[in-house]
Order: sequence, then C-alpha cells, then structure tokens
Amino acid sequence: MALDLTPATVAPPLRERARDAAEAFGTLAVAGLLLLSFGLTSGPFLDGTNLRNILVQITVVGVAAIGETLVLLIGGLDLSVGANVLFGSVIAGDLVQRQGAPVWVGILGGVAASAGIGLLNGILTAVIGIEPILATLGTFLVAGGLAKIVLHSSWIVVEAPFFADLVRTHVVWDLPLMVIVMFALYAIAAVAMRVTTFGRSIYAIGGNPRAARLAGLAATRIKILTFTIAGAFAGIAGCLQIGQLGIVSSGNAVGLEFQAITAALIGGLSVSAGGVGRVERTLLGAWIVGMITNYQTIRGIPPNYQQALLGGILLLAILADRLFRTRTT
Amino acid sequence: MRGITKRFPGTLALDGVDLEVAAGAIHGLIGENGAGKSTLLKILAGDYRASEGSIEIAGEPVEITSPRAAREHGVGIVYQELSLLPNLTVAENISLGIEPSRGGRIEGQQVRARACDALEGIGVSVGPDRKVSELSLAERQLVEIARVLTIRQPRVIVFDEPTAALNHHDVVRLFEIMARLRDSGVAVIFVSHRYREVLEICDASTVLRNGQRVARVERGEASLERLVELTLGQRSATAFARTWRGEPGETVVSAHGLAIGSRIRDVQFHVRRGEIVALCGLLGMGQTEIARALIGDARDVNGSVAVAGRSGIPSSPRRAVVAGAGLIPEDRQLEGLFPDMSVRANISIAALGRIAVSPFLRLISWRRERRLVREVGTRTGIAPRVLPRSVRTLSGGNQQKSLLARWLLRRCDLLVCLEPTRGVDVGAKLEIYRRLEDLAQSGAGVLIVSTDLSEVLGLSDRVLVVYRGRISAELDPRTSSEQELLLAMQGGIEGERHGLLEPEAVA
Repeated sequence: MALDLTPATVAPPLRERARDAAEAFGTLAVAGLLLLSFGLTSGPFLDGTNLRNILVQITVVGVAAIGETLVLLIGGLDLSVGANVLFGSVIAGDLVQRQGAPVWVGILGGVAASAGIGLLNGILTAVIGIEPILATLGTFLVAGGLAKIVLHSSWIVVEAPFFADLVRTHVVWDLPLMVIVMFALYAIAAVAMRVTTFGRSIYAIGGNPRAARLAGLAATRIKILTFTIAGAFAGIAGCLQIGQLGIVSSGNAVGLEFQAITAALIGGLSVSAGGVGRVERTLLGAWIVGMITNYQTIRGIPPNYQQALLGGILLLAILADRLFRTRTT
Repeated sequence: MRGITKRFPGTLALDGVDLEVAAGAIHGLIGENGAGKSTLLKILAGDYRASEGSIEIAGEPVEITSPRAAREHGVGIVYQELSLLPNLTVAENISLGIEPSRGGRIEGQQVRARACDALEGIGVSVGPDRKVSELSLAERQLVEIARVLTIRQPRVIVFDEPTAALNHHDVVRLFEIMARLRDSGVAVIFVSHRYREVLEICDASTVLRNGQRVARVERGEASLERLVELTLGQRSATAFARTWRGEPGETVVSAHGLAIGSRIRDVQFHVRRGEIVALCGLLGMGQTEIARALIGDARDVNGSVAVAGRSGIPSSPRRAVVAGAGLIPEDRQLEGLFPDMSVRANISIAALGRIAVSPFLRLISWRRERRLVREVGTRTGIAPRVLPRSVRTLSGGNQQKSLLARWLLRRCDLLVCLEPTRGVDVGAKLEIYRRLEDLAQSGAGVLIVSTDLSEVLGLSDRVLVVYRGRISAELDPRTSSEQELLLAMQGGIEGERHGLLEPEAVA
C-alpha cells in the first residue's frame, strides 16, 4: 500500500507565473525606486550625461558578470573573474603595445588567455572535483600572478586608437561603442540560454546535477565549456577595460569579482543552488550597483565607505535570496 | 506492549497490537512494508504516542512520552539509517549529547573511557580515536550499537533491519552481539525481512499484517513457509492484469559473469525486446546495484555486459543512454526531476537531439519540442495543460509519468525502472503499469526492480530472484504465488536450513 505523499492541491500556473513576474519586477522596481530617490535627492544624477556615464562605468563589470551568471546557473562559483579580467587585458595590452601585434591579434590573445584560465577552472571543478570556491580562489591567485609577471611590475599605456574608439565612438543616443558591445553580448547570451540545447543543459545541471547525469547529459563537458566561456567573457571585459582606462596596470579590476557576483545576486541568482535565474536580469543588477556607486560619488562619499557599502549590499542580496528560497521550498 | 492502537488522519496504522518480549530473549518482528512495524517501534521509542494501549517494562507500566523518556526507561533503538556524525571521532559520537562535563568543559578522558567501556561491552575493537568517516559501514553500525548501549540500564534494545547493508561475516558478528545482550538479560527485538536470520536467532516472533498482530510464533513452531504464509495472508488478486504478452524479440541487454564490488558475483541474465523482467530481492541483496550497473551508475563493475547490442560495461550514464538505455530512479526528487524546470523541459531533457534544429546546429525548435512532448504526454496520460507548469506542482503519479514520457521521447531500447510506483496513488499505478506494457509492446525491453510482490507478479513476464548477490531463481509470474516468490527471496525452501551461518559464508 503506497501513500501519495505529494500535495494533492496543484498550484495554478497563474500563481506561479505571478510569482515569477513579481520576482522579475521586484528587481525592476528596486531599480526604479533607486533611480527616483537618487534623482530627487541629487540634481545632476538624472542628467543624461550622468546616466550614460553609469552605463560606461558598469560595462566592464557587466560583461564579466555574464560569465559569472553562467557559472552560477550551472551551480558553480567563479572567484577568479577579477584577476582574469586583468590577465586578459595584460595579455592584450602586451601583445598590441609591446610586441607590436595587430589589434585583432591582441584581442584574440587576451580573450584566449582568459578562456584558458576558465578552462583550468572547469577542469579543476568538473573533472577533479574540487569545490568551485576553492578551485577559483587558486586560479584567482594564478591569473593575478601571471598578469603581474607579464606586466613586469610596471604598466602599459595602450596607444592603439581602436581601444580609445571604444569610448569615443558614439553610436545611438550618444552611447559609446563599448556600451553597445555590452548590450549586444547580453542579448546574445540571453537568447543563447533560451534557444540552444547547451543553455537548456546548463539549467538542468544547475537544477539537479545528479538527475542531469542520469538523464545522459554530458555534464562534465558542459561544465568545462561553461567555465571556459565565463573566462572568455572575462577576457572580453579586459579588452573593454583597456578602452575605458587606456592603461593596463595591476590595480585594474581589483575586487571586480565581488561586483560581478553582487550584480548577479541582485539579479536573482543564487550562490547556494544553480538552475534558476536569467542572464538579462544580471544586467539590471549591474545597473543597480552602478547607480549606487555613482550616487555616492556625486554625493562625495569617500571610496572606502563605498566599498563597505557594496559589501553590505552583497550581504543584503544573499539574505534576500535565502529568505525567498526558504519560503518557496 | 498491549493493545497498541495508533490512528493517523484517515488511516488506522495499528489496531490493538500486542507485543510481548521476554527479558533474556531475542524476539523477531516481521511483516511487509506498511504492516505497522515502524509505527510500533516509534511508539516504543517515544517518537509517537499511542492512541490506545499500554506499555509495561519489567512488569511496571511506563509512560513513554519522548525519546528522552524512552532512554530513561532503558529502551534503545539501533536504526537502519545510521545517525553518526562523520567528522567526529568514535568516542565523541558515542558520548554525543550526553558528554560528561565539568563547568561546561567536556572531559575528554572520560569521553574516551566511556567509549572504551561501551565498545568492550559488545566485544568490539574499534579505535575510539578514529574518525567515523574512516570506518566501514559495519564498523559504523557497531559504534551505533555501542552508543545505544550507553543508556544507564539497557532493558529493551531494538535492531531495526540491521543486516541489510552488512556482509555475512559482519552479520555473524552482529548476531554474537545480540546473543551477548540476550545473555545479559536484555530483551532484544530484531526487525528484519530476512526470515532465515529471524529463524536462526529469534526465540519467538511476532508477525504484523495491515496493522494487526496475526500471530506470535515460538521458536519450535516457526518455519520459513509458515512465516511467509503469515506475512502475506490470503491474497488472490495481483496488482495488474496484463492485456498483452508477445513473443520476445532480440536480446536488448545481457550480462555474463557480472560482478560488482565484493558482494555481487556471477550474475547472468538477459532481457529481450517486448519483455518485462523483474529483478526481485530483499533489501540489500544486490538487485539495485545490478540494475544501476547496466546504466553506468555503479563502481567496481566487472564481467561482460551488452546494452542494446553495444558490448562493454557502460562507464557512465551518458554512455548507457547513448547506447539506448534509460533509468527511472526510485527517488525521483533526488535523481529524476529538475524541480525548477517545466514539465515539458523535464520530458525533453534526455532527447535534446530530437528537438534540435539539426545535429550540427544545436538550436531548440520550440515548435517541435511542443509537438513531440505533447505526443508522448498523450501516450503516457499527461494532460497537455500541465506541460508548461513547473514539475514540482505535479502529483507523484504525474511526476512519475513525466519520467516515463522522458524515455519514450528518447525512444530508448531498454528502460530500467527502480520501484516504478513508489509514492504513487492507486489510479496512477495502474496507468503506469499500462504504459510499461505499451513500451514493451512497442519493442523495448523493460527491467523493473521492485519489492512490491503483487506488482512484480502482475506486471512482469519473468521474475529473477536475487539472493546474496546472485540470481538464485527464475520464476514464471503466471504460475507463481506471492508466497512462492517471497520464499524464493528468502533464499528458497530447499538449501540448507541454517544456511546463514555456514562456514563458507563466514570465510
């Protein structure tokens, strides 16, 4: 005699859809609310130029956060993104400025180098089975160290006009090229997660790794690929950062991994479990982080306070995730 | 325990059950799953309170209102699922929750001394400073027993299916410990599905069926046949009446000399297309491991296996799936479903290649996905309107059907089902049987592993009985009764009566 232990009442799909919508619009509402309150308390905040500035400021973090989002979705965590952004920019900058390579070779080299770190992350976690937080802590140091070795404890001023053009060239609504690149990358990632079997597999593996394995998915291969792609996004972010700053130095991208993780968490992802979330919502998360940082700068709050506040926001996002999850499960 | 009745909303779990155990005796408690054994134990352990009835220990009526009260009355229970903390040492685990302390500081020496005493008391040499995570399963069980025995004055000790995970050497050791407890005047209760072991060691046994005590059998009058008969009672109808049986086709899976770990050896069988074959055995006899080896989810597998014409033991589930096998696991939440994904995505996940635009361009054609999933949904009895919902909103039966639909969509040649109808209501059960029959009719081979006897007899074409890591018998379900099947699962009536402790098994 078997008892059916599952709840007899079936939740109507409407309620479910409403919950999803509430979750999505919750983030949107927070963004709107912040925009409004910042605008009311600071005159120059709502200025078109300032809003454009925010977009430029979040581009590097935003692009790196795409990779972080994919990794979180598959149930991993990547602490190495920040160092990997630096590594990519150092390789690209070194190739272009010091070796005299053409720009496209530099970019390709930078992206490939970062993807290599991502590949290493994938092998360490998926094949060898090291906890992602530990494996990527290791590669964080490796990537940062390699970057500094190549830099020779100095910096590289990259003069190739291509990089400066990323900021100088305005495409639509006076938005610089690099912002357009970020939007395009988000669009590609968001669509790919929906329409490719690869994207579907990421959600499955993140949602229930054991079931994914037993359903015959190539879980190991897909995980490695995901980490590698995340590395490539870090490399692209590194090249965009050359455009933004014009200079590659070891101080770039410090702490960027935490901004990327914060953006993803505000966007609704979870560090404790994969399989839930949307890439495009990370962009919203990055925008929120960008607004808060920008507002503080306008109001003259010193950078040290800003860092503490970012930490507070990160904790809040984790707390919100915890509360939401325990309520639904 | 006298006249114990326990009512749950909607069911009567125990109906006036008496259980009388003499001090200095080992008493067997047997019955099918759901007969009421665990409810009775939980009442004794203080986890539940009886709706009616009384408990006496050593002639005195006692009120067991909590697990703590049970301890104080000298009642200890060794559970089937071990509850040790892997990162602590043996000694720390034994004293867990009852640490001797002075002013909040735990006395390490005393903890150690107590552990040594407890381990010595049962004649076990497990180092008290070893970490539990380093111990073998049998050693952990011994530590668990030592821990239970730290109660001040053990008077009643219950062993809840302790032998399921043990090899025969360890079973013998466990019996020695139980005998020692008996000799020291403790009342020992032994809960087991292994009637040979019950006959071997118990002075008397109580048989439960459907929440009632059907008999108390003394040692002299007990036999394997009698216990089997008492457990099952008179039942005629099987769970399912087959409507189709066809000539089996080519072999879809075969195993020769299959060995897994040290406990499963020399397994040889095959399943043909159009056949439903059941692997049947008591808990821990190896049937689940055999089934999992076929779909690449077992370690330390040797021998020759061919799945869907591809020879070689599949090294991973992916290999097995590519070869044409599929698995419906016994725990669908843990190993089957993707709770955050829709029913549709849960069904199509194993057949992403079929819903992709082309093998080279792995883009999902949503239209094709909707169409194909609707098709298999109709075939398995899933209403189209639930397909876009999240799978966790479905009932157990519908969840199980969506796993079935997953493998239909994949068009697998061999479906391995572990406990196909666990946690599923009666209506859905019949529907699942019907679908498995359809699957066989469409030319796939189906291998089920089940402990539900009437399900096994009603659904399958052949029954393979697994006993002690080997296939010990093959039965024809059309001519066999549940009694015969359960007897075969107990190791068969022929064969040595006290086969359990034969020297070969000890060595």
